[in-house]
Order: sequence, then structure tokens, then C-alpha cells
Amino acid sequence: MGYRTPPGALSPRAALPQAGARSGRDAGPRAPPTEPGARRRKCSPAAVRRAGSSWPAGGHLARLAAAPAPWCAAPGGPRRPELGLGAAGEHAEGRAERAPRACAQPPCLWWRKPSSRRSQAFLQMCNLPIKVVCRANAEYMSPSGKVPFIHVGNQVVSELGPIVQFVKAKGHSLSDGLDEVQKAEMKAYMELVNNMLLTAELYLQWCDEATVGEITHARYGSPYPWPLNHILAYQKQWEVKRKMKAIGWGNKTLDQVLEDVDQCCQALSQRLGTQPYFFNKQPTELDALVFGHLYTILTTQLTNDELSEKVKNYSNLLAFCRRIEQHYFEDRGKGSSSIRSS
Amino acid sequence: SCSARWHRALSLNVLLQTLFQAYAKFSGAPLKVSVVDNTWRGSRGDVPILTTEDNIVSQPAKILNFLRKQKYNADYELSAKQGADTLAYIALLEEKLLPAVLHTFWVESDNYFTVTKPWFASRIPFPLSLILPGRMSKGALNRIILTRGEPPLYHLREVEAQIYRDAKECLNLLSNRLGTSQFFFGDSPSTLDAYVFGFLAPLYKVRFPKVQLQEHLKQLSNLCRFCDDILNSYFRLSVGDG
Repeated sequence: MGYRTPPGALSPRAALPQAGARSGRDAGPRAPPTEPGARRRKCSPAAVRRAGSSWPAGGHLARLAAAPAPWCAAPGGPRRPELGLGAAGEHAEGRAERAPRACAQPPCLWWRKPSSRRSQAFLQMCNLPIKVVCRANAEYMSPSGKVPFIHVGNQVVSELGPIVQFVKAKGHSLSDGLDEVQKAEMKAYMELVNNMLLTAELYLQWCDEATVGEITHARYGSPYPWPLNHILAYQKQWEVKRKMKAIGWGNKTLDQVLEDVDQCCQALSQRLGTQPYFFNKQPTELDALVFGHLYTILTTQLTNDELSEKVKNYSNLLAFCRRIEQHYFEDRGKGSSSIRSS
Repeated sequence: SCSARWHRALSLNVLLQTLFQAYAKFSGAPLKVSVVDNTWRGSRGDVPILTTEDNIVSQPAKILNFLRKQKYNADYELSAKQGADTLAYIALLEEKLLPAVLHTFWVESDNYFTVTKPWFASRIPFPLSLILPGRMSKGALNRIILTRGEPPLYHLREVEAQIYRDAKECLNLLSNRLGTSQFFFGDSPSTLDAYVFGFLAPLYKVRFPKVQLQEHLKQLSNLCRFCDDILNSYFRLSVGDG
């Protein structure tokens, strides 16, 4: 069918996943493993531990491989957020085996992946213990090629949808208390968020020339040597533009995209009203999803602030994000760049 | 009063045309559908196009906005929350149901060659009738692959299986939401009803050789009743293009 396999790790400095960490996909050519004496950079993952868990069976902690938290100080300058992983079964911390690359660019604030934030929020809402680690080639270890993914016992599950179903199969679900009509509504709102916010984020990253030139190209190409960094960045941009054209966003201007985001936020704000969560007192998958996206929009600095301004117009959405951040993230002893300071 | 001419719709716009006709009926806008032989201009894919005395509006969302500004609004009675729900359900339809409907009409070869292609080819002038249907078919397949054909789905068969699963789930959700009411929001029809009708009516009424989605729809009796009610009340003369 002509699906492109992701670019193999050509640099010998890229980390290599060992056997057992993958389920399914072969990602193409691999780099030889690094020698034991290779320089290691310690990545400070945002680790969240909770004592006294009974999930999953067997007592293993689930490991959430995600984008690095923004406070991960990268000595080598801007890094690609998707990091790699060492062997399964090895202790996760301190195994980022990719040497830092000297980079002459000023430290730019990269786009934090909202997907990891919302999966994290979801798992924490379920009161499940997770440890978040960041690795250089997490994308290649994931069975679907996307981060984040969770590694639980022998299983690897990626992306929010399958993670939700996996967790449900283990007996934890946030939406059990909803009736059929409410479940339909929840799914509809999740699609709205995916349709509007996710596509708008993608558009802003790859189709807005200012952002592309200043931030995205550099960030996307940073793990690779010249000229691969440019080639891959342009290839990705071409792919995204092709997809945008197929769904009818190809001719949209930035203003139209921002208007769509505004409409989406208005709908979410109207739905939320004055309630603490979307479905009254208990958080659901929808809350995790909305939080992930809004948090990313509010805390990432881009060339212009219009996107976050649109969200800030709705005070109940801001309060919602703040509440979830406080309740599920700050209270667990993690420092974070709060929404207030952005 | 506002009088407008419609350019005859193409491809996925069978749905949109039904949608707009329904919306127009619900809101009372005096619209006249006429076949205008500007297919050459419309063949860039900009249809449907709404033309009034002063301006030309394309794209479904803009057309609906235009009609609303002209005070043909089917949503006066809705609360803010119901308006938000409308947007959400429309997104659900476009994400989950549309790929399968496109596939049923334009990609499934039995359906395409026996029903869709002859029907469209008969309504557009030669030699476009040789070129356009094929282009629309490729466009539909392209859209499905680009939006849904991502890892771990590597074969077209797997993508197809997934989109039909999603479409059936979407129909179930719509059925759950509709329940026993006559329309989605109370007793009078609204934009969401027009959208759902626009998607379901062609699926419900067109006789296809390969009918898996149609079969599933026919099992959901309240959705069938919904379509029949609207057809009988608002489209009394004929099924139209369905």
C-alpha cells in the first residue's frame, strides 16, 4: 500500500531497542548497539510513583514512555521530544544512550506532545501507578509508531484509544457510571476535540510558515545529521500538507483555523458550564483528552500567542485545566511549569 | 426573500445536497434546486455552491452560516449546550461515518461500477463523464487512506474493516442518542437532524449490491423511522437523489 516505514536510525549514536521491547512492527534498518563506554546522558524523567497498587497483576509498574517533561534540561540544546528506550526489563532511568549533540541554536521551546499529557492524566485519574520515562526512540518501539505507549508486564499498548480499552479490560474505567446517551455524547465530544484541536495543532506546527521556519524544522530534524535533518523535516511537512488537503484544510488561512479553534473552545466551554468536570462530579476520558490538549496549547510558546489567547478567553476552561493540574499532577509531588506562569 | 440557485452536487456532495435540502425545508428558506450546466467550473471540487443575487458561497459550514445570517435558522429553539452538542455530533459523523459512506459509494467496486458511476455519468456532460467519476473515486480512496490508513493498519483490507467497524459503532451511538424521540432535540428538526438525515438517507435508500452498512442501518429501527418521517413530511414527492 505504500506506507512509509519510519526512517531507520542511521546515526550510531541512536539508542537501540533490544528484543522484547517491541510487539509487532519492524521499523527498518537499525544502528549497531552502543558500546558500554559510550557517553550517557541522564534524562531526568518525571517519575510518578504511588505505593500500594494492585495493578497490574503481578505487581509490575506500568511504564509510560512519553515525551520528556519540559523541565528536562537538555545539555545539548533542543531535542526531539520523542526519546528512545533501552531494553525492556532494564531499569528505565538513566538509559538514554544518545550522546548530546552540540547545537548552536538558542534553546527554543519545543512543542510538547499533548498525547502523552492526556494519557498520563487519564491513567492518574484512574488512580493507577505509572512511571514516566523518556527515551530517544520511543516512536520506533511503539507498535503503532506513535507515542505515548505503556509497557505493562509483557504487553505494549500505544495511543490513548487502545490504552483506554486496555485499562478497561483490566477492570478500570472512568465512564462506567454513564448511561448510553451520555456515552454517545462523550464519544462525540472526543471526536470534536480530535477533529478540531488536534488538526489545528498539526496545522500550526507544519503549515504555518513562521512556526515551521523557526521551531518545527529545527526540532524535528535535531536528532539527525545534515542533510538528513532537512530532508526528513521537509518530507514530514509534505505529508502533513497532503493530509490537510485531503480533509479540506489545505486552503485554510491561519485566521480560519483560529476561528475553528475558537468555535471548538466555545462548544467545550458551553458543555462544561459551571460543573467541575464534563460529566458532573467524576472525570472521564473526555476530561483527560481535553486537559491534554488545552494544557499543551496554554503552556507552549510559539511565534504568536493567538492560539493560547483563544483558549484563555474561556475562564471556565482555564479553571478546569488548573483544577486538574493541581489535583492530579501537583499534588503528587511533581514540579511543573504551571499554567499560571505561561 | 432570498432565492438561490444550487449547482448540482457531485461526489460526496450527494450527502451534502440532501443535507442542504433538508435544512432548507426545516428552516423555511426558499431554495430552488436547479441543474446548472457549469460542471466545468464546478469540477475543481468546489461544489456545492450557493449562489444568490449578490454572492457566491462554497463549503458546507459557510453555507449554513450564510443561511443562518439570512435568518433561516433551524436552531432558534436550541440552548447553548445543545448547540455545542450539535458541533460534537457533526464531528463524530465526519470522523466515523463519512469514511465508510465514501467507501460504500465510491471505492467498493461493485457499488461504484453498477450504481454510482452510471448515475453520475448520466448527469454530467461528455467528455467529463469519462474523467470526473474516476477522479472522484480516487479522491475518496485517497482521503480514506490518508486519514485512516496509519500503522498498525497496513493493508487496505484492514483499513476497510476498521472504517466499517467505526461506522457501525457510530450508527449505534446515534441510535442510542435518538432513543424514542422524533428528532434529536425535541419536537422540531434542527441542523443536526439535517446532517444526520443527509448522511443516512442515501445510505438507507440507494440500492447497492454490497450492502453491509445498509444492513446494519436497517437493524436500527429508530434511525429508519427517523429517515422515513422526514422523507414523508418534507420530501413528499420523491426520494430525490437518494
